[in-house]
Amino acid sequence: MQNLKNIAVIALNTFRESVRSKVLYNIVFLAVALAFFSIILGEWSVFDRAYVIKSTTLTIMSLSGLLISVFVGISLVQKEIQGRTVLTLLSKPISRAAFIVGKYFGLVAVIAVHLLLLTVIYYLILWMTHSSPTFSLLFAIYLVFCEMAIVVALALLFSTFSSPVLSALFTLGVYIAGHLSNELLEQVRFVRRMGEVDGTQSVMMEKIAIVVHAVFPGLYRFNVSAYVIHNIALPEHYLFFNSLYAVGYIGVFLAIACWWFSRRDFI
Amino acid sequence: MIQVENLQKTYHTGFLMRPKKVLSDVSFHVPKGSVYGFIGPNGAGKSTTIKLLTGLLRKDSGKILVAGFSPSSSESRKHLGYSPEQPYFYDYLTGRELMRFYGRLSGIEGKELEARIEWALSLVNANKDWADRRLRTYSKGMMQRVGIAQAILGRPELLILDEPMSGLDPMGRKDVREAIVLLNKEGVTVFYSSHLLSDVETISHRVAMIVGGRIVREGTVDEITSNSSAEYHIHVSCDIPSEDVPEGVLPQGTTPREWICKNGEQRDRFLNFCLQSGLPVVRVEHQRPSLEDVLTEEIARAES
Repeated sequence: MQNLKNIAVIALNTFRESVRSKVLYNIVFLAVALAFFSIILGEWSVFDRAYVIKSTTLTIMSLSGLLISVFVGISLVQKEIQGRTVLTLLSKPISRAAFIVGKYFGLVAVIAVHLLLLTVIYYLILWMTHSSPTFSLLFAIYLVFCEMAIVVALALLFSTFSSPVLSALFTLGVYIAGHLSNELLEQVRFVRRMGEVDGTQSVMMEKIAIVVHAVFPGLYRFNVSAYVIHNIALPEHYLFFNSLYAVGYIGVFLAIACWWFSRRDFI
Repeated sequence: MIQVENLQKTYHTGFLMRPKKVLSDVSFHVPKGSVYGFIGPNGAGKSTTIKLLTGLLRKDSGKILVAGFSPSSSESRKHLGYSPEQPYFYDYLTGRELMRFYGRLSGIEGKELEARIEWALSLVNANKDWADRRLRTYSKGMMQRVGIAQAILGRPELLILDEPMSGLDPMGRKDVREAIVLLNKEGVTVFYSSHLLSDVETISHRVAMIVGGRIVREGTVDEITSNSSAEYHIHVSCDIPSEDVPEGVLPQGTTPREWICKNGEQRDRFLNFCLQSGLPVVRVEHQRPSLEDVLTEEIARAES
């Protein structure tokens, strides 16, 4: 019980610390500005205006969430270590795991508030431009939140053992790999079927693609903008199974982060 | 309250992770209810030992028990309060908000928490005005006081303070000294490191001296200083040219009537010289060395 309380206290403090970050405000301001800019993009585009606004805004949500995870999330643990505030904190009767999990929930709360703000703006823009705001858009936004929850856990994991710059690069690398892993596997399989690469090489390439696909979190699963924009129903239990998928990856990343952090020396 | 036996610690530094041994075979025992001073030069291993006691570092080998628990368990930290050297805190909080944050992490809530905050802040003379100011406006001395206040907030049985008097003005030092003595009277065991040896001599029941990662002396101040080489100051009634006195014996300042003998052998040779030369000896003072003298002696020994 005390552990849960400690996690809540640390999460609240992390939230308070994060909302004072100038970087966060810059990202939020940029995201809001770009969301409004999507109205102009919709006018200029040869595509349907509603389609452009919806897809642009969902992309902005995902990318701004990524930037917050990378630039705010990674600095959170490093700031505690380099600023030496961690010395006093960890001398209290709290476990190091509670520290990591508390930091995680604090930052996830920041992302949640950010996405909530953008959702309100998103619906406002759709209402202003008569672009048929539908309830199903919330599914896409929820999945962006799940995706960001994974990315935050990943950023936190990297920040427990590497410098902020390396952590940022690792996180961005996994984000890109996670989005492209499915496409990579499909391309490799397609090339193999077409017989453009000789047998041994194509088997090897497929094996590599399968490993990449299996190891990196499949972040492509959380991009359902094509479904919701065109009002296509999501497969049955899609939200439920992908929520479980996200929880599984978050659990693994946080467990590794806690294990690593508990072994760390604070000189 | 603290039991340390054969403690070893090595840091691995640089890109190649070169090993650097910082503690070798460190053993000491801090009795319950005592004020225990931990002294040594910079880089001797004081802060490393303290961080091992608080679970911030992991030992290579040896045994550490804090209030009967291993420092790696959060159970041991329920019994201790710790203030690091040059404490750093969240500077966007006020002193009082910071205390609430740490209090909640120690499992204290509501009215009890507010009462303890008042008690802890008043004990280190952190007056109400600056307790409600943001920490970024605090001076080094104010930070040090808040550091001690947060350490005692949970009314720990054991207080571990790393250089608690550094950065404080004379009044601040006096406040901290008095706070340590007061807490000790209430039954708190205090383990602290310091460079201010006069303060250590005044308030410590026992002292451990660490040089080059090894405990070189341990005991009460009396025990440590009485086992060290004493100085003898011999006063004579007339001036003696320095070229005439036995080798090694030096005048005190510019006074050729007071002579310092570093040990008993020098004293005997100088007294023989006075006797043979017919020089009247006024008095012989046996000066017990201070902790500083002993520490200087031990550092010189380690370097040689």
